[in-house]
Amino acid sequence: MSTLQNPLSPDDSATIPQPAGHRALRVAIIGNPNTGKTTLFNALTGLRQRVGNFAGVTVERVEGGFKGPDGRRVTVLDLPGSYSLSAGSPDEQVALEVLLGRDADRWRPDVVLVVVDAAHLERNLFLASQVIELGVPVVIALNQFDVAEAEGLRIDVPELIHEMGVPIVPTVAKRGEGLEPLKKALIIAAELPAPSRQFAIPEPAQGGLSPLEACLVADGLSATAARMEALRLLGMQRVGPHLDRVPGLAEAIQTASDELRSVGFVPTRLESEVRYAWIAQVIERTVSRARPADSNVSDRIDRFALHRVWGPLIFLVLMVVVFQAVFSWATPLMDGIEAVIASAGRAVGTVLPEGDLRSLIVDGVFAGVGSVLVFLPQIAILFAFIGVLEHSGYMARAAFLMDRIMRRVGLHGKSFIPMLSGYACAVPGIMATRTIEDPKDRLATIMVVPLMSCSARLPVYTLLIGAFVPATSIVPGLTLQGATMLIMYLLGTVVALAVAAIFKRTLLKGPVRPMILELPPYRLPSLKSLGVSVVQRCQLFLQRAGTVILALSIVLWAMATYPKATIDTSLPMAAQQEQQLEHSVLGRIGHGIEPLVRPLGYDWKIGVSIAASFAAREVFVSTMGTIYGVGTENEQALTERLRSEQNAVTGQRAYTPLIAIGLMVFYVFALMCISTIAVTVREAGGGRIGWQWAGLQFAYMLVLAWGSAWLVYAGGTALGFGG
Amino acid sequence: MTSIQLPTLQSPSTAAARTTCALNACPAGTRVTVVDIECSGDEACRLRSLGFCEGTSVNVIDARDAMLLEVRGTRIALGSALTAGITVRPANARA
Repeated sequence: MSTLQNPLSPDDSATIPQPAGHRALRVAIIGNPNTGKTTLFNALTGLRQRVGNFAGVTVERVEGGFKGPDGRRVTVLDLPGSYSLSAGSPDEQVALEVLLGRDADRWRPDVVLVVVDAAHLERNLFLASQVIELGVPVVIALNQFDVAEAEGLRIDVPELIHEMGVPIVPTVAKRGEGLEPLKKALIIAAELPAPSRQFAIPEPAQGGLSPLEACLVADGLSATAARMEALRLLGMQRVGPHLDRVPGLAEAIQTASDELRSVGFVPTRLESEVRYAWIAQVIERTVSRARPADSNVSDRIDRFALHRVWGPLIFLVLMVVVFQAVFSWATPLMDGIEAVIASAGRAVGTVLPEGDLRSLIVDGVFAGVGSVLVFLPQIAILFAFIGVLEHSGYMARAAFLMDRIMRRVGLHGKSFIPMLSGYACAVPGIMATRTIEDPKDRLATIMVVPLMSCSARLPVYTLLIGAFVPATSIVPGLTLQGATMLIMYLLGTVVALAVAAIFKRTLLKGPVRPMILELPPYRLPSLKSLGVSVVQRCQLFLQRAGTVILALSIVLWAMATYPKATIDTSLPMAAQQEQQLEHSVLGRIGHGIEPLVRPLGYDWKIGVSIAASFAAREVFVSTMGTIYGVGTENEQALTERLRSEQNAVTGQRAYTPLIAIGLMVFYVFALMCISTIAVTVREAGGGRIGWQWAGLQFAYMLVLAWGSAWLVYAGGTALGFGG
Repeated sequence: MTSIQLPTLQSPSTAAARTTCALNACPAGTRVTVVDIECSGDEACRLRSLGFCEGTSVNVIDARDAMLLEVRGTRIALGSALTAGITVRPANARA
């Protein structure tokens, strides 16, 4: 922070020695949810983003950067969306700590960029008015300026700058408008004195606040930050972790509260009353209506989208469309990827001499990683849909519609979004539970998110459905295959709700927190921002494919290849391969666990695939490819092989449709994903407690998986579906 | 530096003298002024940072199990457990 006591002319400023001149300028972005904050962040930084976590907490930390107009490097930190600094959720706590320079990393911003929604200025200025008082230079981006204008609002920007005391730049992040002036403003603002409170609190109240402020200043807060904190603490009546070492703070809050009450104020209301009273004046001076507001488009959409009958129906149809699209639209792309990988594998195969090295490259690396790459289109399409739902504003409606159902199982609508994200991947789903304030609700949601069928199960479902479910059309646009897929997703979802209900009535007993949810106006999603988030998710998936799965593929290949069997070369090729596999380490493991999987109708080869996929379920498919020696670059060959395969023990077909369905059900429930376990450990509290919850999660899901697969197989056989 | 005028606080007796009711008793289409928010401190903080505070006028858009409300130009949904504890004064009950 640079405070120029003696403002100089711009020409002189160049000669001022800048102690921080060589390091990157640090900018923290904060804003209400639904202001286009992330879109603006993406527009400023592009794809150069680093995703991680804030030290010690489970809040996602995204950092990016850009080169300023003067060539200076600017690092941008995207703080979690918050309505205020006074709500005490982990997100808001992190934001406050970073802004005060009291977070674990001591990453103190040089400038704070507050993104406000120009069309909803009144509500958005609350957060802005808090941030302005923190003692750090501030720039306000007046985002979605076009929407405000379209709604007939006229904002007097120079007057608003005067009222707020900080630089303000109108932007339309979605179209990249206003970015250059914004970048310039950020650089200039770093050299400006820090702003401070723009209004005075009525004297009798201020008298009560002053001792509390003094207590905070004594702990090292700047005078202006202490004033902001004093008001905030009175509203919260609770000391956050960043201030818990301030001596005598709790008593000072108590004294100030008593003092305020004695002069006729309600301490918990004071902050919202003074801030909104000031904001009302600012709005009156700066915003006018050029014409009366049109009948609101969002209202008209909501009349259907939130209708008691149409609402849930529309929601259901949307879900069907999403799953059918993931299944069918991706097919041509997947075929293309398969063809490329297959020809690449063949090309490499012809260059390398016959032997173990060629086998390793072609059967191990190409087949293993290829089998995972193939699912990239499905993951991209699913994340694109989730992105559209989120960016368009529909996701909040879905949470509203689902609130009643979720409430019945003891959760609330907010748990729905993490669960829906779980369809794409449990890892971001579990991370998304941080928007749930109640720790018990949060844990219950974490425990069931992995039951939602994630994209890594898709390969397994796709392979088995493709091989054993006919593509008969049920109704136009929906085949039996699509329907089976939908049933697998529904099964996971229904059981997730049931398990959540059990957790909320036993281990995590507690009241359901009431719903408080903003329904943002509907918006057309920004293609660029959508693209960035899809690419980001795909990259995370590819990193896994490139590391964990590549390593596992090589290990698996080795385990299936060694020790070498003495093979009877007079046998047909397939029998030779089988002989080798049975002799190998993998084959021995498979035989070892066969007693465990026999009640489910599986032979040792399926056992091997399940065992191999404990770290990552998508490995199941590549293991099948390795085991049956066909690779998966040719999915047709694997499908054929599965259909004709025989169980060595029973002599019957190894895969009947019943076994295939049992196997799918097993994968619906089993937690076979190292990443999910790691995230659960972290998000459930870390350390021993985290491991205990993660262990419980793994165990209950395994029991559920085995039990359900057994039920399908034994029940189905008893009913005569065994053939 | 702007000086601000706070709404004069009403003593409980004068507030009760006017017609007040629980928010969840208000049908769709009612315009109300929030009189008192009775819920846990955390939820009250959350409501206030969404612009839903004492003295705010609110439009009831839809009243079912949960309520849809318009507050300061934004749309929020509140669960029934909350709306039962919020005291409001309907605009048309002022006379």
